[in-house]
Amino acid sequence: MAAFVQLVILGLLAGGVYVAVGVGFGLVWGVLNIVNLAHGALVIVGGYITWQLFTAFGLDPFLTLPVDAVALFVLGYALQRGVINRIIRAPLLFTFLLTFGVNLVIVNILLLIFGSDFRSVTPTYSGQGFELGGIVIPYVRLASLGAAILLSAGLAFLLSRTRIGLSIHAIAADRDAAQLVGIDLRHAYAVTYGLGAACAGVAGGLIAMIQAITPTAGEPYTLQAFVVVILGGLGRVSATVVGGLAFGLVEAFGQSIPGSGSVFANAIAFGLMVLVLVTRPQGLMGRLR
Amino acid sequence: MIATAGSQRRWRRIFLVVGAIVAAYALLAPLSSLDAAQSAGIPLLTDKFWFRIATYVVMFVVLATAWNIIGGITGYAAFGNVAFFGIGAYTTGMLIAKAKWPFLVALPLAPILAALFAALVGLPLLRLRGHYFAVASLGVGVAVGELVQNIDYNGQPVFGGASGLFLPIYAVGHRGLFFFYLMCGAAAVAIAVTWWVLRSRFGYGLIAIRENEDAAAVIGVNTTAYKVAAFALAAALTGLAGGIFSQWNVFINQDNTFPIEYNVQMILMALLGGTGTVFGPAAGAVLLQLLIQFLGGSLPISFDLPFVSSEARPIVARGVIDFFGGRTRLSLSYLRRSLRDTSL
Repeated sequence: MAAFVQLVILGLLAGGVYVAVGVGFGLVWGVLNIVNLAHGALVIVGGYITWQLFTAFGLDPFLTLPVDAVALFVLGYALQRGVINRIIRAPLLFTFLLTFGVNLVIVNILLLIFGSDFRSVTPTYSGQGFELGGIVIPYVRLASLGAAILLSAGLAFLLSRTRIGLSIHAIAADRDAAQLVGIDLRHAYAVTYGLGAACAGVAGGLIAMIQAITPTAGEPYTLQAFVVVILGGLGRVSATVVGGLAFGLVEAFGQSIPGSGSVFANAIAFGLMVLVLVTRPQGLMGRLR
Repeated sequence: MIATAGSQRRWRRIFLVVGAIVAAYALLAPLSSLDAAQSAGIPLLTDKFWFRIATYVVMFVVLATAWNIIGGITGYAAFGNVAFFGIGAYTTGMLIAKAKWPFLVALPLAPILAALFAALVGLPLLRLRGHYFAVASLGVGVAVGELVQNIDYNGQPVFGGASGLFLPIYAVGHRGLFFFYLMCGAAAVAIAVTWWVLRSRFGYGLIAIRENEDAAAVIGVNTTAYKVAAFALAAALTGLAGGIFSQWNVFINQDNTFPIEYNVQMILMALLGGTGTVFGPAAGAVLLQLLIQFLGGSLPISFDLPFVSSEARPIVARGVIDFFGGRTRLSLSYLRRSLRDTSL
């Protein structure tokens, strides 16, 4: 029983990272109708910023998260404004190919700058935790779950309570009508993608504290972000939070099966995705549209 | 510039003639390496290195033509066809390396197994549309590669594991020549199948699905059966190429049989040459693969571009070819116009 509870706790804690990875991806997909294959690469960019600040200035990794968010927002805004906006009306295959190309370019730039060595962020409290009735809770994981929930809450607040959030809702509902009421589409699209990238950056900062990163480590996160968003249901931040936590649980239990292990992460994610798509296409929390 | 129908027909004819001459040369030049040709004093037109590149090019002709059946004719953006390539490669590889089957007996099983697998995963996946299908099929490509590398039985990797699978070298005179022509045969089969599909009731059904799936169902096309058949057909051809690749390359592992880049490359090739056509993907494959090899520095007459690593190559190649790909409207204004059509 204790092992079961431990597994549930670890799964939920691991789900924090998936929540952070998923919310940005879901925002870009739901509003811009882009399946952003560069999402994993943006995540890793965030990871490297955290690593760089931590090793160069000894900054606490959790304090670097706002830097990740701002830097990635700028990068994402420029990317959407300068590149992706140009093919937004083309068939979906083209946005797919373009974001895959952006992914390759980012990964290769990172390889050029940082090389392919494994990098990890290890503050003094990493690897430590506290015990609660026989259940071990690692500090970093707990804090990263908290950071992910804060991030999601912040994003939900931004989307529902601010002027730019309302215009994002408007372009999601009807692009041309939004333009008619005076929303600058190019700016609003770029802001949306920038917000998605900022979430990816925060997720990357969290990931760098939990696992060692390389420039190519982002690829699985793209697929996992997709699964998380499908699992929760497209279109709402809260649904993605549920999807991320559920995904963390599934992964924790999947890896605890004897003979399995982290090597099957993608296969588990994919199997879960097919299962959800076939049985409940609108996701756990989604509404049929 | 408005091209008249007459000048278009003339350009078409010129392209066809030039293409036929190039194809004939590419097919016949390797023969000059045969002993008979050598003793007759015909100068050597190709060396082993060129065989390898030419075989790669033809392999991509097969892959792009096969993708065209599901992606171009049926209109389903399949992003995981590389799974079928890998399954074909591992089918032949396992049968030869572990079961000691002769190559030519093992080869036919590669397309059969790939097609069976495609039918199996196609039944649930092809219910999805648009982005959902694209990413789900991408998931197949990633997951199958991972499973093949990591499945253990009693602590022993079943499919060779991370260290890959070594095949015995196929004992045949002029190996390079043999595999080149075998791959050409596969390409001919792929193109012939596409030609047949586009002229058959089956193909009309697929085109109807691409144009409007609901309308196709209403007029009596069994959309599920048609889609799964198209997916399986594409998988069979891709698996055939994989099967040939495994014996040709002698060594297979996850990296060389399940590279995600191949998915992107075959799609770019089909788009470049023209999706839904018979020869378009083949032409795109030849152009793009030669360009990729050229930019990557594997052709003898090439230069190495800094910053262009092996993975970024297809993207660079795409930019170059897209610019010149306007065919009759070969200009900067073509580029600007096409960007204006798609941008916000």
